[in-house]
Amino acid sequence: MAETAEGVIGKDVARIDGARKVTGAASYGSDFALPDQTYAFLVTSTIARGRIRHIDETAARRVPGVIGIYTHRDIAGKVKAGKLMADGGYLGTSIQPLTSPDILHDGQIVAVVIGESFESAREGAYRLDVAYERQPASASFDDASVETVAASEASKTHEDPKVGDAETAFQQAALRIDVSYSTPTQHHNPIELFTTLCHWSDGKLTVWESSQNVWGYKYGLAEQLGIDPNDIRVLSPFIGGAFGSRGSLTPRTAIIAEIARQLGRPVKLVPTRDQGFTIATYRAETRHHVKLGATPDGKLVSLSHEAWEVTSRPDNYMVSGTKATTRLYQCPNIYSKVSITHADRNTPGFMRSPPELPYLFALESAMDELAVATGIDPIELRRINDTQVEPIKGLPYTSRSLMACFDAGAKAFGWHERNPKPGAMRDGDWLVGWGCASTMYPTAVAPAAAKVRLMPDGKAIVQTAAHDIGTGAYTVIGQVAAERLGLPLANIEVQIGDSDLPPAPVAGGSNTTASVCNVVAKACDRLRQQLFQQSNAASATDISGMPLDAVLNDLPKDGIEAYAENLPHGTTQEGIGKLYHGHSMLAGGSELKDRIQFAFGAEFVELRIHRLTKEIRCSRLIGAFACGRIVNPRTARSQLMGGLIWGLSSALHEETEIDQASARYYNDDLAEYLIPVNADVREVEVIFVPEEDKAINDLGIKGLGELGNVGTNAAVANAVYHATGFRIRDLPIRLEDLLAVES
Amino acid sequence: MTRKTIRFIRRGKVVEVPGFPPTRTLLDYLRLEEKSRGTKEGCNEGDCGACTVALGRLRDGQVVYEPVNACIQLLGQIDGTELISIDDLATGGTLHPVQQALVERHGSQCGFCTPGIAMSMFTLYHRDRPATRQDIVNQLAGNLCRCTGYRPIIDAALEVCNGQASDRWGADKDEIRAQLTALQESTDIFVGDADSFFAAPANGDSLAALAARHPDATILAGATDVALWITKQMRTLPKIIHLDRIAALHRIEDHADRLSLGAATTYAEAETALAAIDPDIGELLRRLGSKQVRASGTIGGNIANGSPIGDTPPVLIALGASLTLRYDAAWRMLPLEDFFIAYGKQDRRPGELVWRIDIPKLQANDSFRCYKISKRFDQDISAVMGAFKITLDNDRISAVRIAFGGMAPTPKRAPAAERALLGLTMTEPDSWAAAIAALAQDYQPISDMRASAAYRLSVAQGLLQKALTEIAGERTERTRVVGRREKEAVA
Repeated sequence: MAETAEGVIGKDVARIDGARKVTGAASYGSDFALPDQTYAFLVTSTIARGRIRHIDETAARRVPGVIGIYTHRDIAGKVKAGKLMADGGYLGTSIQPLTSPDILHDGQIVAVVIGESFESAREGAYRLDVAYERQPASASFDDASVETVAASEASKTHEDPKVGDAETAFQQAALRIDVSYSTPTQHHNPIELFTTLCHWSDGKLTVWESSQNVWGYKYGLAEQLGIDPNDIRVLSPFIGGAFGSRGSLTPRTAIIAEIARQLGRPVKLVPTRDQGFTIATYRAETRHHVKLGATPDGKLVSLSHEAWEVTSRPDNYMVSGTKATTRLYQCPNIYSKVSITHADRNTPGFMRSPPELPYLFALESAMDELAVATGIDPIELRRINDTQVEPIKGLPYTSRSLMACFDAGAKAFGWHERNPKPGAMRDGDWLVGWGCASTMYPTAVAPAAAKVRLMPDGKAIVQTAAHDIGTGAYTVIGQVAAERLGLPLANIEVQIGDSDLPPAPVAGGSNTTASVCNVVAKACDRLRQQLFQQSNAASATDISGMPLDAVLNDLPKDGIEAYAENLPHGTTQEGIGKLYHGHSMLAGGSELKDRIQFAFGAEFVELRIHRLTKEIRCSRLIGAFACGRIVNPRTARSQLMGGLIWGLSSALHEETEIDQASARYYNDDLAEYLIPVNADVREVEVIFVPEEDKAINDLGIKGLGELGNVGTNAAVANAVYHATGFRIRDLPIRLEDLLAVES
Repeated sequence: MTRKTIRFIRRGKVVEVPGFPPTRTLLDYLRLEEKSRGTKEGCNEGDCGACTVALGRLRDGQVVYEPVNACIQLLGQIDGTELISIDDLATGGTLHPVQQALVERHGSQCGFCTPGIAMSMFTLYHRDRPATRQDIVNQLAGNLCRCTGYRPIIDAALEVCNGQASDRWGADKDEIRAQLTALQESTDIFVGDADSFFAAPANGDSLAALAARHPDATILAGATDVALWITKQMRTLPKIIHLDRIAALHRIEDHADRLSLGAATTYAEAETALAAIDPDIGELLRRLGSKQVRASGTIGGNIANGSPIGDTPPVLIALGASLTLRYDAAWRMLPLEDFFIAYGKQDRRPGELVWRIDIPKLQANDSFRCYKISKRFDQDISAVMGAFKITLDNDRISAVRIAFGGMAPTPKRAPAAERALLGLTMTEPDSWAAAIAALAQDYQPISDMRASAAYRLSVAQGLLQKALTEIAGERTERTRVVGRREKEAVA
């Protein structure tokens, strides 16, 4: 039995939930249905700011099958607004629709129509007549009525990392780069819609909704509905893509729960794709001003990163990626400042690599500009400024293999063949561009709890309220349990995605594998200990290699169970209490007092730009990554490959367009919000650079789900420069930007 | 005699569905009525492919499996087909070969797009020759994977789609063919009442009469656009008349001088015949929508809807196509370009049907080029679509037809540029400049999220230059991007 268990961690095994996914048997939040369920269809605002003047329900009520229309008149006072996660709450916005007639953003929920059938609810929604008192709305940065404040004023906990005197050093520097960049609004667009099913039974609420944070949802809903959290169960066994969009509770869930309570019947909401653009969160647009000062031989003497981010009117949401960009390179003088701009928009939220993606686009583009200015190869420039100690507080990286990644990536890519002169590399009518950039992502680990039960038949059940957002959590948790228990992987049943299970943190910040695998390993070790202490089969001193066969027969019929909690480095016992109240206390990245924890990588892009039509095609993407111990190379590779393609998509395709006059999104569907298709992706290669980090956590795991898409953005822009000599500083890069390229 | 139900084959049996709302989609039927929830809803507008199912249809007496988006397929449309959804592929505990390959190659991350991808692969698996990488990319262009596991998905398809279908559909071929044959009959379908119905007449005369009797009815061909009126605009379309069952409307007649297409011919059906006129048209159709859209969408529908960005009208206008329309028993013919009057306005009275498109073939002294420019290479709406037909008398341009999509409120010719080109020679490229500049008189495009006005005009001029250059010189095939490694592999 034990022969299959040895070395299960690190093994290239197929995902254990694969068969369920390919047969359609995996049930996602959207797939649950109950007898007697009713259907909800949302009506959302067609203005971005103002008030509901009047709602005429007559025509909607006349639609056969419509059984209820819920507006602020029915919900106000029944559902409380929640707080942002950053403010100690559970929600992604403090704007709670249907609590007043006020409209604070485009597409805000103004009514919910309930029907006996989906079609009747939809027709009722179509026939509901809502009249507004419209006020002028500000869309984004350049609108006169927005309000911009320094992040340090908006938030007590915000810090702008600084060291030395960046301005003086910049003025005195031999080489200066002084440039501005911007990144666009983007939406997660997971393929599964933002559906919700709520059902009350004996005063207890069950919610089926794809969630990256079932314990957080449970406590958040309890607050909003004013009920005991123990009366709420949130189920999310499979999640049809999330990318951050399901990490914080959205206001719709409490509304649907409240309607189900009032109606006394289950309510199933299936919103439309376009409604998903405004009833959940998004990545807000950002602007950056980067100044780099360097010596002629490329050594950084000054780095300044000033940035602005858009948020909603009431919320101080911010991502503050300067935490990363001020720590990537050695530099004695660093200045940073983040400001937020309040506009009439829904509140932004976490989207895959929230801070790092926009901020590293700016810094890594600027580094490429410095490479051009100094005439130093971009990889060598990074080597010159590489460091094992972050420059702000002088803390050591637990491990940092950035240059090893560059070396491995450069070799695979053939970087040495690169002619650095822009436009020098051609293939027929195509201008060829090669670009590269660093990528980094903080390793944060959170307190977590897990239970393991071993049955007399040699099967084990692992229970923890973690989430598999497609990353392979089911599989890696199973692998850890198999190895630690000494059982074949097939004997492990993994149960996650249920708030009745021991709590695990939000599946955010790429922490799940590290947080959950470590606690599951602990629970397994504890179980073995209990097992062998109870039995006479072995001495308690050396049990790690003992096969279970000998002791299984002695087990009671329902097996034995072990429970464990894990407090990662930088957390305290208080973290467990918080965990049991739905809060994830992630510790790591640049937030620790004694050290700094990041995963690194080097990303390479080959572009072809047609000299006549200026079409941009990506022919190769290569990423080399060092992210501690890889629990499963197959699932990890897919995460990083997906990340590389996300980065490509972000650089060349994705932008949510906002009508400046009305502050409304207008490409809010998958026909116009472009994400890549198979044909857009040619060669993609992921290289794992071996890295052992014994300090970071017991299992040596760093997160990697958000590492792949960060550096790609700048690597693409740098490749565009290399192909054309045109430096495009505003994403996404489009053909229009290259019209003036000489053919 | 009319039939008040639709019938199709499901899991080996004939299913008969009476009395359904005319706008009920196939996806809602599967998920809500049949409770087969393996088929996922991702966008409800035919963009993501998560809801892809396979429809088996008889084509020239053979069973052909095509992928369709269940979300923009109305339930009534599947009459006479075999419906296969993801829930059907595995037998007992054994995965279907495409499913097994997806598991092994890790072609599934969050897995929400996976059922649709497996179904698209299933239809490719049932093709009679091994799939190339390009075949797979074409096949899967309509299946978005937001986790972007495209590489492993392509690897899985390369492994399994080898032209040797060894599943039970392969084994039961004859039986399925017999079942489908038995479903074909010439009774009109009429589900509902005079105020609200889904009708699918079986012959041209009853169709024309019904459309004339209900001029307010929505004429439905492939539903790739009409279904969006329901799912996106939430319109209630009480009366629907479906064209699909009329054999004449599917007829492809290959005459010596012209190609004649019935209006309900799908892109997939017409692809070979149109590509035979010029390979550029084949490449255009390959990039039009997705495999799912091309299996449902029709040439006639692309015309009748009058969209300024439909991809086929500029091609057909440049080729000099004419349109035949029918109102009850009255027929008329007009040049296609005259059909488009203004944005959203066509020369078609209520109850009148687009019946046939006649497309002149190219003569020995004709050259043709067409180009689709879109932000995303595959499965994207054109920013600009240009089509050019140039007739040469020796080296002199003796006739020219230029049409663009995306440049005006309708698909439109370029009279000023055409005039300027007449009489010029192909050997003097410098002389073309005035004609290229004249496109600015022909078109005043708008700026929108697909492209700016300046870009549109510039690219239109570039495309005319490209067409002339190509026609004057050696034809270049160098419009593809090939990675360095692939090139080395080829070499």
